[in-house]
Amino acid sequence: MSSADRVTLGEALRALPLAAPPGDEWALLRERLLRERSHPVQSRPPAWRRYALPAALAAALAGAFVILRPSPAPAPATVAHVAASSSSNGTQAAQIHNAQNAANQGDRLAQLQQRSQALERWLRQTGRDAAPLQGQDLAAAAEIENLIGLVDVELAAPRQTRAPALWQRRVGLLEDLAALRYSNYRLAAGGQVAASWQID
Amino acid sequence: MVSASSFQIDLPATLIERVKSGDASAFEAIYRRFERPVYTLALRMLGDTEAARDALHDAMLKAFQRIAQFRGDAPFWAWLRQIAMNEALMRLRSGERFVVSMESAGIDDDTLADDAPAPWAHADARALEHALAQLPAVTRSVLWLYHVEGFTHPEIAAAMRKSTSFSKSQLARGTTRLRTLLDPELEAVPCLAPTA
Repeated sequence: MSSADRVTLGEALRALPLAAPPGDEWALLRERLLRERSHPVQSRPPAWRRYALPAALAAALAGAFVILRPSPAPAPATVAHVAASSSSNGTQAAQIHNAQNAANQGDRLAQLQQRSQALERWLRQTGRDAAPLQGQDLAAAAEIENLIGLVDVELAAPRQTRAPALWQRRVGLLEDLAALRYSNYRLAAGGQVAASWQID
Repeated sequence: MVSASSFQIDLPATLIERVKSGDASAFEAIYRRFERPVYTLALRMLGDTEAARDALHDAMLKAFQRIAQFRGDAPFWAWLRQIAMNEALMRLRSGERFVVSMESAGIDDDTLADDAPAPWAHADARALEHALAQLPAVTRSVLWLYHVEGFTHPEIAAAMRKSTSFSKSQLARGTTRLRTLLDPELEAVPCLAPTA
């Protein structure tokens, strides 16, 4: 076999030339940007975020959270007790305090990750039974998934220093998505929740 | 060795800061650098120039609108690529392309021997693009995201809301189909085989 035969599919695909859009897309995009800037109303949160989600949260999250309620937090670390009772040395107390903070942050991060996993698992499991999302709901779900993808990009970065904040945001977005899908899930399952908050 | 994803363009932090402060000329500079990578990704996934243009516009507009959310933990190109991929996937999901692709009848899972000559090694770009265009959109998207953009199967599965095995099987099917499309003799073999 020649060396050419050993060219992988990936190499062949990556060697394809980049495609160029047919016209001056920047001119069109600039017009759109200017249009959107001159209509500040469009910079407000989308309608689904202003109406659908609060309503969905009110109507559906109560039930969803019963299913998805995270396990109770682990008991506080005992190092705090040790710090208060047995050490009069300020430096040692500070070190213990730092250790306690680190442990608490680690616990918090683990809790967020567990909650994220639970929400994802629930979304996967109910996805098969949920009614297909339509129109505004579909756009809302796509928007939320978009944002989750962006958080994942940031989380995948090496030397991540903002992991707790990012995981918190990820959980929040998954909860939004769960709220959106939960109503559809109930609708598909014969529930009566969705009709009360559906907004067109 | 061919380079990695065409998205991998590093930008000066000052350029991004200027966009964050609303400087449209800085955004134009970023747009010019990423226009082709974004459009190419959308075109490979969607297989349609108009849909790819729409995805390009929407992805770039969202990038501009959300630039304040970009913290710089990941490279800008990875952040923008995620937006572009999501725009294309959203169109795949909402259109018929996704359904058609899922039902891609006529593609079997048989894989050829590893030592078989790779037909893409001898195919010119036009022939390879033509063969790619004949794949179902989802299959083509998996091939592209895996081989060109370097996503893993779990990452592709999560983006497509499918299982990892779905991503793997689409990759295997797409590879087999590409071989067949690029080397018509492979397709003719069963017809020439003697009947028992």
